[in-house]
Amino acid sequence: MSNEHTVKSYEEELQFLKDSLIKMGSLTESQLNDAMDAVIKVDKDSIDKIIKSDEEINKFRSKIDTQIMNLLVKRAPMAIDLRETISSLKISQDLERIGDLSKSNAKKVKPLPLDLPDELLGNLKRLGELVMKQLNDVLDSYVNKNFDKAKEVWEKDEQVDDLTYIAMESVIDFLSKDKKNLDFSTHLIFATKNLERAGDHITNIAETVCYLVKGEYLKGSRPKGKVIQK
Amino acid sequence: MTNIKIKSKNLNVYYGDKQALFDVNLDLNEKEVTALIGPSGCGKSTFIRCINRMNDVIDICKVTGNIEMDGMNINDKDLDVVSLREKVGMVFQKPNPFPKSIYDNISYGPKIHGKGETKSELDQIVEKSLKKSALWEEVKDRLDEPGTSLSGGQQQRLCIARAISVNPEVILMDEPCSALDPIATAKIEELIDELKKTYTIVIVTHSMAQAVRVSQKTGFFHLGKLIEVGKTEKIFKNPDNKMTQDYITGRFG
Repeated sequence: MSNEHTVKSYEEELQFLKDSLIKMGSLTESQLNDAMDAVIKVDKDSIDKIIKSDEEINKFRSKIDTQIMNLLVKRAPMAIDLRETISSLKISQDLERIGDLSKSNAKKVKPLPLDLPDELLGNLKRLGELVMKQLNDVLDSYVNKNFDKAKEVWEKDEQVDDLTYIAMESVIDFLSKDKKNLDFSTHLIFATKNLERAGDHITNIAETVCYLVKGEYLKGSRPKGKVIQK
Repeated sequence: MTNIKIKSKNLNVYYGDKQALFDVNLDLNEKEVTALIGPSGCGKSTFIRCINRMNDVIDICKVTGNIEMDGMNINDKDLDVVSLREKVGMVFQKPNPFPKSIYDNISYGPKIHGKGETKSELDQIVEKSLKKSALWEEVKDRLDEPGTSLSGGQQQRLCIARAISVNPEVILMDEPCSALDPIATAKIEELIDELKKTYTIVIVTHSMAQAVRVSQKTGFFHLGKLIEVGKTEKIFKNPDNKMTQDYITGRFG
């Protein structure tokens, strides 16, 4: 028995959907990376490019929506195909939201002064790197249908929460030294929070991948770090 | 708790030298719809024909193993097949009303089973059966017209009415909608939903979507073997067996 669909065009449509999602994923990755870079380096020149790439991600989202609608109507997918289709719908939503958060972070670069002290950005940078790694890992787990890897990402969100807490603390410390810092510190707090929320969307994707692979939802509640418990 | 209405254990069927079913173990729950799916020739129809001993009419057919209804051995050679078939009604792929009036189509069964002594009793059975099969409103003023004058979908509901007129416990349906248009199919499916409150139903279907819509339990047959059986939702979302998955997703070569 072969693993290919008897109807070739069905096979192609499913593959096309997976390819679109992978492309959307890698676009979201580079946008998140660029937005992080822009914040850390206070690089105001890249803001427009990042905002533009968000439009691309949104276009992918609606393209994927159309592909999914067509698949549902034409093929009435079952079992693994049904899970693949529905998972693509959910993952593309989460990717789009991550894109929005990156865009929002890019916009926060504008009011930042160019001479931000390193100790202020260090923790934010670490958080950004972790979120990047999480996104990369979860997309890997999707491509390779790797349940264990997706679950690992899911568990690691706790670390994202903890780092968010630490990054926030350092901004608040900085703020408390001089009230003049209030304006841009607020932007940094929002940027930190955006990263934490991107982490939550990555956790959603991890849950979706687990469901896609095994057909069952992960049991138990999500691991929560300090920022949530507080 | 759901009761098991029909239980097959190591059921084997042979047509001459050719084995059509291999050690089928399948429980059918009371007042539930069980869908049987699988490619043509996989044994699903052969299986349901064991339930009302329809295979008896094929000379070369031999059945071994066990199949029980409420603990009664269906294969018992001393069993009264007529009374078995009174308990187990059947509806076929192609609507096959008798070449008689709508009324006679329904009253025929009860008459031969001695269930309607008087005209008014028969009238009642006819009305009740047609109401149960959701056909009454459409035919109540034309009961003396031939059953064959009805549309395909109506004829199929007439056959269902005929099957339930003798008050069976089980209804077997062998691809009951494959000759019907989507509206007529929808009416039959709605009817199945209603009938399952009273009867145990087994439906053989080639439509996956139909199996999902109408059944609570699904069995997948392949080359005479029952490959997988389970809750319909589980079978169509996340089957355990790769062969089941390949079949329902259209990957069968």
